[in-house]
Amino acid sequence: MKYLISRAFVALLFLWTMTGSCLGAEDYEQLFRQTSDLMAQGDLDGALALLKQVPAPKADEEAGPFVSSRMQAARIYASQKASDKAMTTCQEVLKLFPDNNEARNFAAALKDLQKPGWHTALSDTVRFLPALAKGALMTLLLVFCTMLVSPLGGLLVALGRISTIKPISGFCWFIIWFFRGTPLLLQLFFIYYGLPSLGITLKPLTAAVIGLGLNYSAYLGEIIRGAIQSIDHGQMEAAKAIGMSYSQAMRRVIIPQTYKRLMPPVGNEFIALIKDTALVSTIAMVELMRAADQLFNTYFNITALALAAVIYLVLTTIFTFIFEKIEYRAGIYEHR
Amino acid sequence: MSTVSQPLLKLENITKRFKNLTAVNSVNLDVAAGEKLVIIGPSGSGKSTLLRSINLLEEIEEGTIRFEGREVGYVMRNGKRHPDRPQAISALRAEIGMVFQHFHLFPHMTVLGNVMEGPLTVQHKPADEARSIAVEILAKVGLSDKRDVFPATLSGGQKQRVAIARALAMQPKLMLFDEPTSALDPELVGEVFDTIHTLADEGMTMIIVTHHMGFARELADRVIFMESGNFLAQGTPEELFSSAQDNDRIRGFLNRLL
Ligand SMILES: Nc1ncnc2c1ncn2[C@@H]1O[C@H](COP(=O)(O)OP(=O)(O)OP(=O)(O)O)[C@@H](O)[C@H]1O
Ligand SMILES: [Mg+2]
Repeated sequence: MKYLISRAFVALLFLWTMTGSCLGAEDYEQLFRQTSDLMAQGDLDGALALLKQVPAPKADEEAGPFVSSRMQAARIYASQKASDKAMTTCQEVLKLFPDNNEARNFAAALKDLQKPGWHTALSDTVRFLPALAKGALMTLLLVFCTMLVSPLGGLLVALGRISTIKPISGFCWFIIWFFRGTPLLLQLFFIYYGLPSLGITLKPLTAAVIGLGLNYSAYLGEIIRGAIQSIDHGQMEAAKAIGMSYSQAMRRVIIPQTYKRLMPPVGNEFIALIKDTALVSTIAMVELMRAADQLFNTYFNITALALAAVIYLVLTTIFTFIFEKIEYRAGIYEHR
Repeated sequence: MSTVSQPLLKLENITKRFKNLTAVNSVNLDVAAGEKLVIIGPSGSGKSTLLRSINLLEEIEEGTIRFEGREVGYVMRNGKRHPDRPQAISALRAEIGMVFQHFHLFPHMTVLGNVMEGPLTVQHKPADEARSIAVEILAKVGLSDKRDVFPATLSGGQKQRVAIARALAMQPKLMLFDEPTSALDPELVGEVFDTIHTLADEGMTMIIVTHHMGFARELADRVIFMESGNFLAQGTPEELFSSAQDNDRIRGFLNRLL
């Protein structure tokens, strides 16, 4: 019923405009207002019919109403996914006013729309990549810092655990017990938000590297200890028998033999580390996860998250490959 | 000063226990410089434990060890024995070469690297000097062509010769061999014995634990028969093998071997 009334109203309006040779500024104002009303009511066809009544301007006439009406119509077509009609309408404007910016941008956007879906994904990718790359670099920085710190920490903890000096082995046992037994997230919070209350304020990067470094030292410590203890006891005896001290035997004989055995589990840990760096996004660091999250929240575009997943996969794949290579090299003396 | 007759190694009442098992039971032993001593005896009689006690790989409960006349390995503090400082213990080991049944070569080092390791790391010799020492010794054990390979590629006999070379590179005054051929295929035993023979001919002092009676007879100045941590009999090979006639245990042991 409502629809019929509005139809009749449009028809009337149409007749009325036909009778007038041309429309004044107020008439246009009213026309646009009515268009808005119709659109608000959901009568897009009605709105379109109204807009079409605005004639092309003659040489000396104002172009504004014509351009506005056609652009409005084009937007309505576009919203109806009738991009062909939208384009034709847009072209009407461009035929008369080739330099009109609004029409040109709109036509360009329409062309983009007419392209296949992957094209949109590609342009999103191009748009998001700089921010994500910056985040990925930060992730890599975190990974490298932790990879520098934690093997050393792990070795110390491992040697401490093996030590026959009770206070040292007890202390190292405690370190491992604590850092393996509590969530990394909690440790990060404690270091970044908790330490300031003890008067120690750390930059996010420092706090993140300390947290990740301690955590991974504890894990690597147990792995390294296992590897050291898996080396045949005869090796230590043979080293001692030629007069080596404990530390010489460790450094020259035992530890070098652990490298090959260490590579698979350590590689695993470092791949876990790449993903664990995502946790530091909670202490005000913009790394890959945070960057993706920000883009997602701004553009509400899932592509940002998908891209982050791809970058994580690329990173972990590269690391897997590198560690396989190192493992092979480290064990080369076992090849016959 | 009667240093001329002083034994290179003198063990006095050495006792080593594992919990309540006495592996070496109050053993006395003098080894003169240049002497070739062979120890035989059934499995579990304490032969390995005795050798390991000599180069301080086992901590003994009682007794004293004298090397070149000086007491080594242990110090008395507040009336209790303690192991000597680690440096002193390492220094003694550097003077005593040990060859193990299972070689224990360093698998991550080349043959040359294994032999160089002692001079390089323990004696802190410059690399080129350590290298020329190792090259020379490898030539002596007949493995010059294997210098640059890793131990994994060697036969058992070759491995044991490298292990001997590794010990020799330290220019030890005493060599301990703990069943050096027991892990080898029979056809590889000969090359290792030949190497030990060469060493013996050069006047090296050595204590060898072995089950090869022929080798013992040929090489030994003295043979000791050990059982349950005790020396049951000792003498020249001839003496020991003839005494076996009237000792059931030695005869039984030898019959099982021969
Ligand atoms: N680390 C140890 N802990 C406990 N007992 C040990 C240990 N090493 C050796 N023993 C015991 O001490 C005794 C002597 O062992 P040892 O290895 O010296 O014998 P062996 O004469 O070398 O024998 P084999 O001919 O089999 O090598 C054995 O009963 C053995 O079980
Ligand atoms: Mg033994």
